[in-house]
This record gives sequence, C-alpha cells and structure tokens, in this order.
Amino acid sequence: MAIDEARGAQPMIVFENVVAGYSPSLTILNGTTFDARAGEITLLIGPNGAGKSTVLKTLFGILTPRSGEIRFESRRINARTPRELLADGIAFVPQGRNLFGSLSVRHNLELGGITLPRADLAARIDEVLARFPRIRERIDNQASTLSGGEQKQLEIGRALLLRPRVLLIDEPSIGLSPKLVQDVMTLLRALADAGTTVLMVEQNVRTALKYANRALVLEMGRLALDRPAAELLDDADLNRLFLGGHVKAPAA
Amino acid sequence: MGELLQLIVSGTAAGAIYALAALGFTLLWQASGTINFAQGEFVMVPAFIMLFCMSAGAPLWLAFLATCVIAMLLLGVLFKRIVVDPLIRHGVIPLVIASLGLSIGLKQLMRAGYSAQAFPFPSPFPSGHFAIAGAAISYADVGTLLFAAIIVLGLQAFLERTVTGRAMQAVAQNTDAARVLGIDVRRMVLYTFLINAVLAVVAALLVTPAYLAKFDMGDSIGPKAFFAAIIGGFNQTRGALLGGVLIGVLENVVGFYVSPAYKEGVALILFLVVILVRPEGLLGKAEERKV
Repeated sequence: MAIDEARGAQPMIVFENVVAGYSPSLTILNGTTFDARAGEITLLIGPNGAGKSTVLKTLFGILTPRSGEIRFESRRINARTPRELLADGIAFVPQGRNLFGSLSVRHNLELGGITLPRADLAARIDEVLARFPRIRERIDNQASTLSGGEQKQLEIGRALLLRPRVLLIDEPSIGLSPKLVQDVMTLLRALADAGTTVLMVEQNVRTALKYANRALVLEMGRLALDRPAAELLDDADLNRLFLGGHVKAPAA
Repeated sequence: MGELLQLIVSGTAAGAIYALAALGFTLLWQASGTINFAQGEFVMVPAFIMLFCMSAGAPLWLAFLATCVIAMLLLGVLFKRIVVDPLIRHGVIPLVIASLGLSIGLKQLMRAGYSAQAFPFPSPFPSGHFAIAGAAISYADVGTLLFAAIIVLGLQAFLERTVTGRAMQAVAQNTDAARVLGIDVRRMVLYTFLINAVLAVVAALLVTPAYLAKFDMGDSIGPKAFFAAIIGGFNQTRGALLGGVLIGVLENVVGFYVSPAYKEGVALILFLVVILVRPEGLLGKAEERKV
C-alpha cells in the first residue's frame, strides 16, 4: 500500500539552489532545490554521499548554507540556530544513538523539552508517554538499558514533545527489526496525517516508500528526480536509483 | 593499628584535595575536550589572591568568597575565552601545549612579579588533635575531609538533581545530540569552567596551610590531579575522587612504612601500573568519553 500524493498541499520547506558542505573544500550540496509539503512524508533517497543527511543538517542549522535560500512557511531561515528552529516548530532526530545513556528515560524526555516553559513540560511528557506505552513502563530506567527499538521510540518521542510542525528524521530504521521499522513508519505516517510535515532520509527504501507521499532522489548534491512515492515503488529501476547511476527522466 | 588509622585519615584528607583538582580536570575534559596542564597553577593563583585579600583586612571566609568570584572570572571566563575557545577547534594537542605554556607563564609571573618566597597561610580549621582507637586525628584533617565531601556532594547533587546539571551531563555525553535538543551548549561548557575555577579555590584553601603559598606549589598538586583523574578513569567523575584518595592514602602509607623519599613517586608508579593494566582507569568505561 503506497500513499497517494496529496493534491494541493502547501510547501512548508523550500530549498532553492542551496550550496553547503562540511568545509570550503568539501561541498556536498551543489545547488539543491526541492520542497517538502505540509502533511506529507517526503522521502530523500540516493546513493551514499549524495547529500541526504547534509540536507537535514543544513535545514536544521547545524551547517550553514554558502549560497541559496532555505524557507520555512515562506520565511528565510538560512542563518537560524537549532534552538531558534525548535522554537519555530522544526525538530530533528539525527541518525544513530542520540540519547544520554546515564540519564533516566524521564530526564531524557525532560531535556527534549528544555526550550519549553517549565509549566508545560509535565503535560507534554504525559502526552508523549500516552503514545509510547513501552517507554512509560521504563520511565525511571537508565536510557542505556533500553532496547534499540525503545531507544528510537524515545528519541522520536523526545522530538515530539515540542509538537513540531516539521519533523526531520535521519535513518530511523537503522538497527531495528522489520516489525519495529513498520511501527516507526506507521507512527510517522500518523504524524503526517495529523498535519506534521515529515522529511525523512531512509536507506530502507522499499519500506519507506510504502509510507511516503513523495520521493526525492539526490545525486551529487542535486535533485535528480521528484516523483510520487507510489510511482517509484513500482519502478523496475528502483535499486539502480538507490544505489546510484544516471537517473532517467521521469515518465510523462 | 592506631598508626595505620592515622595514616589513612590524613592520607584521605590529602587525597580529597587532589580529588577536587582532579574532578575539575575530569569535568573540563568531559564537557569540552580540554586537558588543562595548568591545573596546579589554577590552585596556586587563588592561594595568592586569598592572601592578598587577607592582607587588605578581609577575614579568611570573605577572602575565600571574593577569590571564588575573581577565580571564576580569571580562571573560568578568561581562560575559556582567551586560551580554550581559539584553540579547541584545532584539536587537543595545541591546547595541551598552550596549557603547559600557561602553567610555566603563571608560575614565573608569580615569581618575578610578586615573590619567590613561601608565605604562611592560615588554616580554616582549629589546630590540635583528638584521639580515637589509639590514633591522633587532627581537626584539620577532619575539617578538610568534611569540607571536600560537602563540595563534592553538592556538586553531585547539582549535576544529578537540577535541569541545568543534567543538561551539562547531556553536553558531556553527546554534544551534538544536546545541541539538536536546543540545549545551550556554550553556556553549559562555560558553567563547567566556572565550576573548575571554584574547585581550584577550594583546593587552594585546603592545601595551602600545609604546602604554604609559593609560586611553584602547583608543581606537586597539578600532576597528582592529572594522575588521579587517569587512575580513576578520565571519563568518570567518581573516578577522580577514587584516584585522588588512593594517591593520598598510598603516599602516606609508603612514606611511613617504606621511606619518605619514595612518597612523591607513589602517584607516578600507581599511574603507570593502572595505564598498563587497565588503561580506561579503575572506574572508567572504554566506550564512553564523558560525565
């Protein structure tokens, strides 16, 4: 089951000719242009080094674009810090382990809401725990004692504390069993259906395409293809697109 | 038996002072990747600032509080802004060299700019001893232990029971993840430098009555703090405490039962044994870098 492209959805995030990288001699994004629409899951795919994770880091203010423009709801957000972007309603779940292992689950959640007013925090934590019953059961355990799946749930839950309007998520399926991957994807789908804009990088392309609205294929830091996820899922050349190589023009 | 008890108590008191300096060492490393080889001079400078305040008529407690504020500025904010911030992006080695240079610079500045003499320093605790199980325990040792314990427990409570303390731990464990959550990483790192400065002032208050205030007093406490941090485990604050106390007690025991001539070598030998047998330190964890 693939998700049909939502018609008429408004662009929440716009990348326009963005050039960015990790140093002046290491440019990853070479004039990247795309948009991510409200209430959709936009999937970024492409071979290693194509710039997928760099897009998320640049959008979230971890890297500064050297040229081009990034817009959120039509406002330019090029020079904003992660803290400012969180306040704007953009949250990021990076790749890998991002918990503070020696702190309890509760304290990890509490730090996820460090930018919120103290009075709102307890209610927000309860809201997140209602969504993740397994995390609620382990609320006083050290985060390092959680299983891989529980840790990923906690990371996503921590990002949801801020009720983000845009959720950036990098490789959520890494280290998870197929069942847990499905659970995470179902959760992201539910978030998108509730109006959250999800921009996801995922290597587990076939599974992710089933839940996404659109797929953007990046090659060498440029957008090579922008197609509805359902169409791409049926593309016989999907493996080649994912692993790299020249991208054919989309069928009319 | 009484002798041994006496050696253990006074060794633990001396070790508690090393532990305070070692704790600062460990916190700086965990939060910001800074290795500060001027830590001994960070104890020497406050000793002279306290002396200066007392010579201006301030009582010891007021001199201590004023020095905490001055040290936070000089050894906390200025050290971070002038030495650490410009160099840290180039890696650990330039910072190690800079802190070694700072150590020599501060020492020579004090010698040439003020005095090469040793100055007596008043003890914050009453003089005298009391007897327990045949051992003569000094009030100064008990006072030192209690004061150091209060500071360490207070610091632990701050780190574990306040949101700011936990945010500091978060920065130390995973700086990138902390930044993504909106934690003010620069501020948390600055707090660590301020805490290190206060720990250095406390160490100065406790150690100087015995060492006397002298430009080279950091030559002994600086390396011992470093060894204590490594022995206990550079990525564990509790390790710094254990390392400091171990050094203090063993120094006393070796100095009494073997020869006082070997006392100063104890920390180095213990350090060598630990890095050969258990490089991550007694309480350290191989996979973690920080608090």
